[in-house]
Formats: sequence, C-alpha cells, structure tokens
Amino acid sequence: MNKTFLVILGALLTIAFSLSGLVLIPNWQFQDHKPVVNPRDGSQYPAPYYGLALQGRDVYVDQGCTYCHTQQVRPKGYGGDIRRNWGNRRTVARDYMYEYPILLGTMRTGPDLANIGARQPARDWHYLHLYNPQITSAGSVMPRYQYLFRTVKAGELVPAGAIPLPPAFQAEGTHIIPNARGEQLVEYLRAQNRTFPLPEAKQ
Amino acid sequence: MFLISMIIWATALLAAVMTVWALTWAIKRGEFRNLRKGAASIFDAGEPIGRQTDYFPSARKGSR
Amino acid sequence: MTQVPEGPAESRLEQISRILIDDSSRVPVLIWFTSSVVWLLLGSLAAMISSLKLHNPDFLGGIEWLTFGRIRPVHLDIVFFGWSSMAAVGALLWLQARLCHVRLPWPLLLSGLAIVWNVGVVVGSVAVLAGHGSSIEYLEFPAYCAPFFAVPALGVLAANIKMYLTKNSEHTYVSQWYLLAATVWLPVLYVTAMLCTYFGLVQGVSQAITNWWFGHNALGLWVTPIAVATAYYLIPKVTGRPVHSYHLSLLGFWTLAIFYNWAGTHHLTGGPLPAWTITVGVVGSMMMFIPVITVAINHHMTMRGVFHMLKTSPTLRFTVFGSVMYTVASFQGSLEALRSHQEITHFTQYTIGHAHLGLYGFFSMIMFGAMYYIFPRVTNNEWSSARLIKVHFWGSAIGVLSYGIGLCWAGWWQGVMMNDPSIPFLQTVEYVKPYLILRSVSGMGMTIAHIAFAISVWRILSRHHFVMSGPTLFTTQRPAWKEFVNEQNEREEMAQ
Repeated sequence: MNKTFLVILGALLTIAFSLSGLVLIPNWQFQDHKPVVNPRDGSQYPAPYYGLALQGRDVYVDQGCTYCHTQQVRPKGYGGDIRRNWGNRRTVARDYMYEYPILLGTMRTGPDLANIGARQPARDWHYLHLYNPQITSAGSVMPRYQYLFRTVKAGELVPAGAIPLPPAFQAEGTHIIPNARGEQLVEYLRAQNRTFPLPEAKQ
Repeated sequence: MFLISMIIWATALLAAVMTVWALTWAIKRGEFRNLRKGAASIFDAGEPIGRQTDYFPSARKGSR
Repeated sequence: MTQVPEGPAESRLEQISRILIDDSSRVPVLIWFTSSVVWLLLGSLAAMISSLKLHNPDFLGGIEWLTFGRIRPVHLDIVFFGWSSMAAVGALLWLQARLCHVRLPWPLLLSGLAIVWNVGVVVGSVAVLAGHGSSIEYLEFPAYCAPFFAVPALGVLAANIKMYLTKNSEHTYVSQWYLLAATVWLPVLYVTAMLCTYFGLVQGVSQAITNWWFGHNALGLWVTPIAVATAYYLIPKVTGRPVHSYHLSLLGFWTLAIFYNWAGTHHLTGGPLPAWTITVGVVGSMMMFIPVITVAINHHMTMRGVFHMLKTSPTLRFTVFGSVMYTVASFQGSLEALRSHQEITHFTQYTIGHAHLGLYGFFSMIMFGAMYYIFPRVTNNEWSSARLIKVHFWGSAIGVLSYGIGLCWAGWWQGVMMNDPSIPFLQTVEYVKPYLILRSVSGMGMTIAHIAFAISVWRILSRHHFVMSGPTLFTTQRPAWKEFVNEQNEREEMAQ
C-alpha cells in the first residue's frame, strides 16, 4: 500500500525534475532573446518567415525533408560543418527564436540546410534539384519531387517560369513549370540564411 | 561554463553517493531482510523452483 | 476429461488460481497483442519501402503519399505506437495481474481502450501519409490524435493502480515496480510533450529539447522498463531459478528512474543549445551504466549453469537474446552520448543502427519471448509449429545483428568522411549505399520472421492445431479445471 505511493511519487518526482531542468529552465533562459538590428538597412535578424517562404515551411514539413537534412551548424573545431562551408559560424539559440516548429533535424543523408539560401541563392538551381536531383547532384539518393511541378506542351515560345532543364532531362515538346507548392518550398529554402553575425556566436 | 559543468558532475556524483548511502542504511535497517522471499514469490507449489516452465511445442511429447 | 491437476490440494489450488487469473486477462491481452502483431507487419512493410527507397530513390517514385519523408516517419510511429506500445500494454496487464494475484479488473474497458488506441494509430498514420505530419520525431501524429493515446494510457494506469492496491500477494516483486512506474511515466511524458509541442508552451530551441526529452524517455521510461520487468519475470520463471540478487534489482530500478530522464539531450550535441544542457545529457547517459550493469549481472547470474535451456524453450531464447542486447545497446548508447563520439556518429546511419539494436534487438525480442509464453496461457492452446518459431528466431536475430553491425560500421566511417572537408559530400552518400542495400536484406530477414510469427499467432488464435495438454502449458484440460473449481465453490457454500 505504502510502497505503491512511494513508487508513484518517485516516478512523478523524477520526471518532473527532468522536465523542469531540461525544458522549462532553458525556455525561461531564452525568453528575453531579442532580434538584432542590421545597422545598414534597419532590418532585423532573425526575422519571422512571411509570404511564400512561410507557406513553404509547411511544404518542407509535409514532405519530411527534415528526415535527411539538418538545419544546424556545429561550432568550429567540432565536426566538419564550417570547413565544409555549411556556415560561417555556429548556429545558436537566437537563430531559432521564431522557428515554430523547429526543424533542427538529426540526420545528414543529405547536406545541412541552415544556410542553403546563402549557398544557393538562385531559384533555378533549387527547381532543377527538386525536379531531378541527378541534374545538380549526380549519385544523390534524394527522390524526385515531380509532383511539385507541372508539365506544359510547348508551342513556339518557351512559357514563362519554365525551368532550364538540360536537354538530356527534357522530354520532346514539353516544358516544366513549378506549381504553387514548388514555388513556396523554394522560397523557404532560399530564406535559410543564418550568416548574420550574432555576438554570442563567436565561432 | 567549466564551472557549470563541474557543478553538474559534482551534483551527479553526490546523487550517486547518496543513493549508495541510502541503500546501505536501508540494508542495515533490515528493509531488505525479506528479499530472498521476494525473489521466490513468483514460484509456488504448482510451479516450484527448479522446474522449467516453457518448451518448444512437442519437444516433450511422451514425457507426460 | 475429468482429469484434475496432479499433486497435493495446495498446489492444485495455486495452479487453479493462476489459471483463473490468466483467464481473466484473456480478452484484453489478446486484443492488445493481436493488434500489435498486425502493426508489426504493417511497420515492417513501411520499413521495407523506406529502406528500398534510400538506395533506389525512384522505387515507387512519384507517389506523393509514399515519399521517403512520409513513409519513414510512418514506419517509426507504427512501430512505436502500434507495435511496441501495444505489445507492452498486453504484457503489462498480464504480468501485473499475475504478480498481484488478482483477476484483471475492467476487462471490457481495457479491451475498448485497445480499440481506441488502434484508431489513434490508424488516424495518425493516414494523416502523416496525407502530409499532415509534424516532422517532429516520435510526435509526428497531429494533435487531434493525442486523446486516442492519452485516454487509454490513463486507463491502463488506473487498472494498474487498482491491481496494486487490491493485490493478494504478500511480496512486491521487482517487476511490479518497473510496471507501475512505466504506466505513470507514459501519460505524463506524452501529455506534457504534446502540450509543449502543439500549444506553443515552449519556444525556439526548447521545442527541440522537449522533442528529445520525450523521444528518449518514451524509449527509456516506457518500453524499456516494461521489457526489463518482463525479463525479470520470465527468465527466473522459465528456468525455475529465483533471480540472482534482489538487492541489485532494486538499485537498478531507482538508478534508472533517476538518471534516464536526463539523457535525452545527447541527441542535440553540437546543436544551438547552452552547453550545460548537453553536459547534463552526457552525465545522465554515463550514469545509466549503473542500472544496465545491475540488470546484466542479475540476468547472467540467473542463467548461469542453465544455458542449455535455451535449446528447449522459445520464450527463454528470445528473452535472453533481448536481455543481452539490452546490455550491448545500452553500453553503446552511453558511449555514443560522449561529445567526442557524437562528433563522428551524430547525423549518420550509426544512430539508426543503434536505435534498432535497442528497440528491436532488446525490446522487441523480449516482447516476442513474452508472447510465446503468454499466448498459450491465455488461449489455452499450443503453438502449432516449432519450425515456425525457429524461423522467427533466426530471421529476427540474424536480421537485427547484421542490420545493427552493418549500419553502425557504415555510420562510423560516414561520419569520419563527413568531418573531412576534402572528401566531397556525395562521396559519403556513395560510400553508404552498399550498406543501405545490406539494410534492406536484413530487413527482409526480419520481415520473413514476422510473417512466420504472424502465422503462428493466427493458428493459435484460430485453434488450427488444438492441443489439449501441451508441453508449453503444463496444464490439463480446462473443463476439468472448471469442474474442480465449481466443486470447491459448492463445498465452501455447504460449509457456510
């Protein structure tokens, strides 16, 4: 009888203890984080996503990109992240103050994406890569996201928005145009830029 | 940072030492006197200590 | 047909009371177990699709519902919520009723809760496949699935407490501590994590900590204690030898309760978190050596001198394999938490290999063992074929070992290559590919094992091979038991 409550109480205490230690205290520690202002143009970093990029986050989540790509840069001297040019500094808590949900990821079947917007600013690169990863990264195991595109019959003129497929990947007489979700996802990826210097991220 | 990690390790060590101390105290106090019985409590006259209670099907055919 | 149990009246009564208790748990335990086996098959299917896609990205390409980023979380969630948790609840109910010497309370309610739980897994899986997943590992199911798991978890907790409070057994067996604590932990963990994740209670990187506080504890404080409790019961029970040291088992319980909680943050090593949160995770992981070593010593010493029984008992074979893998996977996990180790293996296939050594090699194998023991006792039927059991064992054992060793090896070198910027990234992808194929082959072995197991379960449920008094059971005919009990009751009534 007494032992029942001893076990229940002990179990509750241990879990409450770790919850407060691991989740609540850091959450409280970060709550007064504020964005920094860029002196050159008055913009703030980090800034919340808006517009297409915000919608694109839902596409990123729904396609489960996070199961193969991380969004975090480890400090200099710990792993090869910075030497691989995945970022110019480590990422810190403040970088993620507006991320909801946070998509840090735990797997690098593909490269880190914390700064993919800085590494690959061109939309076309992303479209080609999503349409068929073999175009930009031969040997990749990433699936083709052809349902983020639509095919149009080509007349004399190349339709607006057609992606510049290499001839080997282009079916005769057709053009490929990203659909709404494709555009959103690419804007989200281009918004992945965590290069702005933060005082607490020295490395 | 070094200080904080030292504090964490020290706390953990303290917790470990206290656990051991509490156990020794409990054993001395006789809290565990009935433990042998506890370990034997899953056996009874129907399935006594020393009898295997699980076999592959038909592995023991004819023995009963 | 009028044969009654042999031996003195006392032993007959004890056997009868045990049979009546097993009987009382029949419907709920069978529903939880059978559901879990169905989910095991579906989980294997999702696993095979994900695995094939990873070295052959065009396999089933173009079907958005089956894209890797959806089928992989579906595999994880089906295996965690469908297979592992449902198997764990089945084992828990049966074991706690037996250890408390009480009939299982509220069998109808507990059966209904199993149905509710199943609905939750179906709704959640379809939602993820349709693109409504949250991309938060272990918590992909949308928020509206939460009640389907939270309510049954609370129901199981209530039944567990009721059994504990009304128990007829004089002693508390060590397994009962683990079972009771696990049923307290699950609802607390799940509800808290869902609230934090879906209702914005925490912001920024704290979401990631919550994620791994849940993800790690769901394994360590829910399925692990149940498997450890099961092994603590089955190994002594099958061999007929009391557990080696009861002191150690209690020390093991409390150190697990205290330290496992804190280990989760090692999933975020090198991430954008304050260093102290990671240090706490490392310390917690190191301290896990204590409970793991106690369990290892205890189970090994209990088995000492009776290893030959592994040949004759399917339950023991699975359970001991799982118990050994508990030690192996836990040691590996503790070392993995170290910063220098994580520098290499974090973000690689190593983690996936380790996860399968733990959740499959340890947990699932012990659950298989439990099912081989429990199914005959609640159906009063015999397993139909020793050969199917052996196919199951060897398929699972060889499958998980080649899977785990292959991926850990590949992951290690993948990590070493990834940390060397002179090696192009795509070369790390190329290096891992043969091991991904090995993974598919190993997975196929495990899937075949699961099919063999499912056939066995189907047969025992459909009374395909009905044996009245089989070697597994040590019982005689049920009608005779009933008669004997009735006689006893009548005698008691006469006396009054």
